Amino acid sequence: MLYREAGQFKATYAEDQQIFPIRQDRIAITALLLVAFLVIPFVASDYWLKAILIPFLIFSLAALGLNILTGYAGQLSLGTAGFMAVGAFAAYNFELRVEWMPILVSWALGGLAAALVGIVFGLPSLRIKGFYLAVATLAAQFFIVWALTKFPWFSNYSSSGVITTGKTEIFGYVFDSPREKYLLVLAIVVLMALAAKNMVRSETGRAWMAVRDMDVAAEVVGIRMMHTKLLAFAVSSFYCGVAGALYAYAYIGTVEPEGFNLDLSFRILFMIIIGGVGSILGSFLGAGFIILFPIFLNSYADPIAHALGIDLPPGMTSNLELMIFGALIIFFLAVEPHGLARLWQIGKEKLRLWPFPH
Amino acid sequence: MSAQRRIGEPILVVEDVSLSFGGVRALANVSFDVREHEIRAIIGPNGAGKSSMLNVINGVYHPQTGTVTYRGVKRHRVHPHEAARQGIARTFQNIALFKGMTVLDNIMTGRNLKTRTSFLEQAIWIGRARREELEQRRKVEEVIDFLEIQHVRKTPVGRLPYGLQKRVELARALAAEPDLLLLDEPMAGMNIEEKQDMCRFVLSVNEEYGTTIVLIEHDMGVVMDLSDRVVVLDYGKLLADGTPDAVRANQAVIDAYLGVKH
Repeated sequence: MLYREAGQFKATYAEDQQIFPIRQDRIAITALLLVAFLVIPFVASDYWLKAILIPFLIFSLAALGLNILTGYAGQLSLGTAGFMAVGAFAAYNFELRVEWMPILVSWALGGLAAALVGIVFGLPSLRIKGFYLAVATLAAQFFIVWALTKFPWFSNYSSSGVITTGKTEIFGYVFDSPREKYLLVLAIVVLMALAAKNMVRSETGRAWMAVRDMDVAAEVVGIRMMHTKLLAFAVSSFYCGVAGALYAYAYIGTVEPEGFNLDLSFRILFMIIIGGVGSILGSFLGAGFIILFPIFLNSYADPIAHALGIDLPPGMTSNLELMIFGALIIFFLAVEPHGLARLWQIGKEKLRLWPFPH
Repeated sequence: MSAQRRIGEPILVVEDVSLSFGGVRALANVSFDVREHEIRAIIGPNGAGKSSMLNVINGVYHPQTGTVTYRGVKRHRVHPHEAARQGIARTFQNIALFKGMTVLDNIMTGRNLKTRTSFLEQAIWIGRARREELEQRRKVEEVIDFLEIQHVRKTPVGRLPYGLQKRVELARALAAEPDLLLLDEPMAGMNIEEKQDMCRFVLSVNEEYGTTIVLIEHDMGVVMDLSDRVVVLDYGKLLADGTPDAVRANQAVIDAYLGVKH
């Protein structure tokens, strides 16, 4: 009953082309942003901010980056963590070696460095597609981690190969506490998500989707294949690179190249599969699910098992996690390839008509 | 003013074009021209090389010998996106829409060459990118009105019936405001009403926008009624070229295409 758009008439194309054309959606997203900016920082504990919300936002950003490439432009990539590593290490080196550089600029340059690397490893996409391209991006993943380990310059000759990030200072203000870091990360992620939404709803995004859906027809309507694919790689890697820099600076603090391994790439790929391929919202839903689910399982698997009269052997919960993720990924690939975001959309469509069936 | 009097100079000249795939000769020394503002039909039995001819014209295939001259410029290995830039749009025999996108987005994609803003401006959105997007939308809505598909504009194309999908594909081609429109069997698989609609649209496009049209069609009634001149291909060779009446009376065409008299 609440979710009705009856009486909301659109008199201009501008009104029709809004990101949230339905008034209830606009109210909901405003409320959500207000809560995220004004309520959560003062309510959530340090543990929640540091261990759950900050990584949730950072992984959402990385998933968003991968979603641009895989979900919108249709180019499967297994190199996400590699591009994050480039972002993290480039930002570290810019900050270390150029003293006057503001931290935000070095993060952005970290993203740009990742974008350049992304373009290089995106070149094979001009010739190969699908599964074979995934293998080519796998090369990016292994090469980047190898190069960062092999050449100690990247980690400033630290004996263990681990880098420790400096403090986050913007205009003389030090972002030190989890609350401050959360707010900073939140602001960056919101802005970048908005920019991504703007890109995918305009010509850039339509070109990506056209290449994804039918490349021959895309070329016939005048879309340049090389430009479009490489732009997708660049923008995607930029997002992953910034996510990597935030991962190093706002979340972990000390990172090593091995932290950005293939496991992480797969985790982010699972986020978009579960959350929704080709959806901005899906990137957030998927990241939230993959980060929150293990925590939920850790806290509640034993009590639930007890209630059912089963004794879980120690260490079982982490195995359970793997099993349930595996099952879920097969479920989504087989039943709902567009993930949670699509389920959400179906739910909304049903709600619009409720209580009538049609 | 009758259609014949508007017809101008040739804008597309195909000379001596041959195309083979391995041992198969799809086109053998084919020559013909297309004049500005005319409706030119290409007919022939299955496998005659009609679609290959369209693919040569818009650069999907590159002929081994022969030349294609468009607007007085001889072309060498043109890519499809360059052909699009020169004002050539087309539809496909097997519908080639972007399945994951809505009707509106599909047609908007047809206007990609009219976009001037960069992806950075589009990411920021406010300002030029927004104005441009609304301007494109206005133009696309004109095409939507013209082809009478207002009721499905927000529908994903995959959910539409076949006839409407064909119409959306035409809309996407028209959104580019082409000078030369290539239609590959626009009426195939349609019922009689859909065919009548499509004929009406093809004629209106030609008359209102002055678009030159090259069309492949199997329905002889449609071809004879719509086109100004007809090219007949058979086994990759040019069999006849002329007005519908002349082609209909041509004995070689009757033998090869319409059937030998017993």
